[in-house]
Amino acid sequence: MEIETLIIAYLVDEETYEPGEIVIEEGTQGDWVYIVLEGRVKVTKRTSVGMLTIDILRQGAIFGEMALFGKALEARSASVIAADGPARVGVLDTRQLIDDYESLSPRIRLLIKALIMRLKESNEKAASLVVAASEKKRNR
Amino acid sequence: MTDNPSTIPPIVRLSYRKGDLIVKEGDYGISIYKILEGKAMVLKESDGREIPLATLTTGDIFGERTFLNRASETRSASVRALENMTVEVWHTARLSREYNEMPPIVKYITDQILARSIRMNNLIVKLVTQEQRAELAEKKADPLISQRRFHRKKVDIRCQYRPFGASDRFHLSGRIKDISLAGLGMEVMRRDASGVSHVKGDCFVVNIVLPNKQSLELEAEVVSVRKGEIAGELVLGMSISEISPKEKKHLGFFLMP
Repeated sequence: MEIETLIIAYLVDEETYEPGEIVIEEGTQGDWVYIVLEGRVKVTKRTSVGMLTIDILRQGAIFGEMALFGKALEARSASVIAADGPARVGVLDTRQLIDDYESLSPRIRLLIKALIMRLKESNEKAASLVVAASEKKRNR
Repeated sequence: MTDNPSTIPPIVRLSYRKGDLIVKEGDYGISIYKILEGKAMVLKESDGREIPLATLTTGDIFGERTFLNRASETRSASVRALENMTVEVWHTARLSREYNEMPPIVKYITDQILARSIRMNNLIVKLVTQEQRAELAEKKADPLISQRRFHRKKVDIRCQYRPFGASDRFHLSGRIKDISLAGLGMEVMRRDASGVSHVKGDCFVVNIVLPNKQSLELEAEVVSVRKGEIAGELVLGMSISEISPKEKKHLGFFLMP
């Protein structure tokens, strides 16, 4: 199935963000899942040396899915901010996604959860390595 | 689940000993493991070194990457047992069917998480390798640091010291018995230092004149205190917390055999 057709069935809203505008804020609660329709967004984490960009997402990239498929009621683990130009993002139907997810077998769900936990851990680790390196540089 | 029990392949349980490599990076394999007991480390090799990526514990799953990542048939990282372990090995035949029956959007999302995860792990390996190379380069550039950091020289030098923060007119006398770039051992007489605390965690400013007449001022923290051979004598083990680069160089030269 073409991804456009696939996504259209799930789109409930579209939003446009100016560069620097926050789509998802780290630490807040929320379970909306988004897709980048146009432009780019950056994934950032707050650290002791300032905001750190850990990833840049382009058209077709889904974000916010960790809150939905990961541990329930966990705060957003990173911020997502419109990058260079205005970014148009689609908001996906949370209810439908949850239904889809719950139709999976417990093992497959466990696999997806494991994948998300591992990604979160990797994000944290990468961020802490960058922080450690820049602190070291400052001390040199 | 409503699977007919006869179609479910038996679940295999395996035991591993501490230190065993359960999954090896680059090997072929599609089994998925669930930890029933014990801890394991996910790691990648780079420049002949093992770079830890994650610690796994009871209930965690590993080996799912090769199953989920249709583009690769080999293990993306190794997993080593940190303790004696029991794991459950999942037959992927049934999982494959379940995976293929996933709603397409969930598959689309899962593929993205997988791709991001692989990208992040590569980034971690890059960052760690960079840092190791930088450290190595720094050591090469400053042979004093690499060779002399832990070389302790036996000495017997009178010195003056004062509690950190006290006026520099305040002097206490001590005797340095050994010194390295990282720390020093100092003997002090308790009666000369009445009213001044000498316990672990105390910080002192130490003034030393080396036998080559070079004078040093450094800050050091007390990391150990024991009684000396004479009554009233204390031997302080101290870790150098602050020394200027120039004075460190002087000390480095002094420490050369």
